[in-house]
Amino acid sequence: MGVMRIGHASLKVMDIAAAVKHYENVLGLKVTMEDKNGNVYMKCWDEWDKYSLVLTPSDQAGLNHVAYKVEKESDLEALQAKIEAWGVKTTMLDEGTLPATGRMLQFNLPSGHEMRLYATKEYVGTEVGTTNPDPWPDGLKGAGAHWLDHTLLMCEMNPPEGINTVADNTRFMTEALDFFLTEQVVVGPDGSIQAATWMSRTTTPHDIAFVGGPRSGLHHIAYFLDSWNDVLKAADVMAKNKTRIDVAPTRHGITRGETIYFFDPSGNRNETFAGLGYLAQRDRPVTTWTEDKLWTGIFYHTGEAVPSFTDVYT
Amino acid sequence: MFDFRPKVNVHVAQTNEQYPCATTESLLTGMMRLGRKGIPVGCVNGGCGVCKVRVLEGTVTSLGPVSRAHVTQDEEACGYTLACRVAPATPVRLEVAGKFEKPFSRGYAKAATPQPAPSPQP
Repeated sequence: MGVMRIGHASLKVMDIAAAVKHYENVLGLKVTMEDKNGNVYMKCWDEWDKYSLVLTPSDQAGLNHVAYKVEKESDLEALQAKIEAWGVKTTMLDEGTLPATGRMLQFNLPSGHEMRLYATKEYVGTEVGTTNPDPWPDGLKGAGAHWLDHTLLMCEMNPPEGINTVADNTRFMTEALDFFLTEQVVVGPDGSIQAATWMSRTTTPHDIAFVGGPRSGLHHIAYFLDSWNDVLKAADVMAKNKTRIDVAPTRHGITRGETIYFFDPSGNRNETFAGLGYLAQRDRPVTTWTEDKLWTGIFYHTGEAVPSFTDVYT
Repeated sequence: MFDFRPKVNVHVAQTNEQYPCATTESLLTGMMRLGRKGIPVGCVNGGCGVCKVRVLEGTVTSLGPVSRAHVTQDEEACGYTLACRVAPATPVRLEVAGKFEKPFSRGYAKAATPQPAPSPQP
C-alpha cells in the first residue's frame, strides 16, 4: 500500500528546555523518551506510536527531516526501487538509528529537504486506549492537540533561472510515492508556473504542502484540533503562555482549514488546524488558485497579503 | 503609557527613526510596542533572521540564542545580531542588515511583466 501518513518531524531548537515546555504547555504533547544525545521525543494523546516530534539541540532553528510511515517493511524496498528509478539517491538506515524505530529509507526531495520512510515504530497506544474509550483523556494541557497533521515546506524557486522545486517535488511525490494533488497555486504568464501545491495520501486535503520561496526551509508543522472552538481555545492558551502568534484565528480558502499560526521559542512556525475541509479523493478535481486570488486562498476572510507569512521561515 | 522602566534611545541609521527602548526588552519588542516600523519583524524568537541588525554604536545584552544560520560568529564579532534577541544597555545606533526576501508572487509577477528596477529600499 505504500505511504500511510506523516509519522514525525525532527526539529532543530536552540533552547531544548524552552522548546519542551512550549510543546507541552501550548500544544499538549508529552515527552515519551530522551536519548543520550539530548534529543527529546514527544507525542500527542491521540497518537499510538511512540513519538511524532523529535527536538534536537542546535545552534539554529529549522527542520532536520520529516518522516512518513509506510504500511509494511517490504514497502521500503519497493519504494526504494521507485525512488532510485526516478533519479533520487537513497540510503537504508539500520533499525535503531532512531530509538524505538525500525529501518528508515532516507533521501532528499528535489527541494533538498530530507525525508525518511519507515514501517515500524514502537506501539504505546493512545491515552484513551482501545476498549470502550472515552472521547478524550483527563489532564490534557494547553490546546490538547490530537496529532501531527501535516508539514509545509518552503521550496527553492527562481523561474528566470529555470528553478522550480515546487513543481519538481510535486512530480516526485506523484510518480515515486503515489501522492495525489488536491490544490495548487499557479502564477506567472498564463498561470504557467506551479508556485505552491497541496498533496495527500490520506483522505484529508493535505499530508504535505510545498510553497515556492527564495531558499528551501521549514514553513510550519501543523497539529490537528477538532473544531473552531478548539482553535479559539488554543489562541487563549497561546495568550496565557505569551506565545508569539503570527496569524490569529482565521480560515484558509485553500484546504478550508481553520487555523492559527504561531512560533515555537526557536522561531519554528507551528499551526493548529481544525476541520476536515473536504473528503480528499484521487478522482476529486484539483482546485486551482490564481495569482490575483492568492491571498484569498491563504487567508479567506481578509484576502489581504501578510508578507511575513510567506517571507519568514526557518 | 504607564511604562516607567528605564529607557534608552535607539536610532535606526537608514531611516533616521528613533524610539525609546527599555533596557529589559529587546530592540525589536521596543519598536513593536510603539507600533513603529523600520526593523523587519519575523518570528521574534531568534530563528528566522529577518530582524538582523548591525549595532554601530552602543552596547547590548543578550536575551537568548541567535540562530547561527543567520548570524555567524565572525558577524557577531562585527556587531551583527538579531534585534529580537538583544536589549540595549546604553543608547544604540544600528543599521538594518536583514531584508525581506521577495515573496514568490511579487517575484513572478515581475518576471512576467518587465518593469524598471525598483529603487533601493532604505
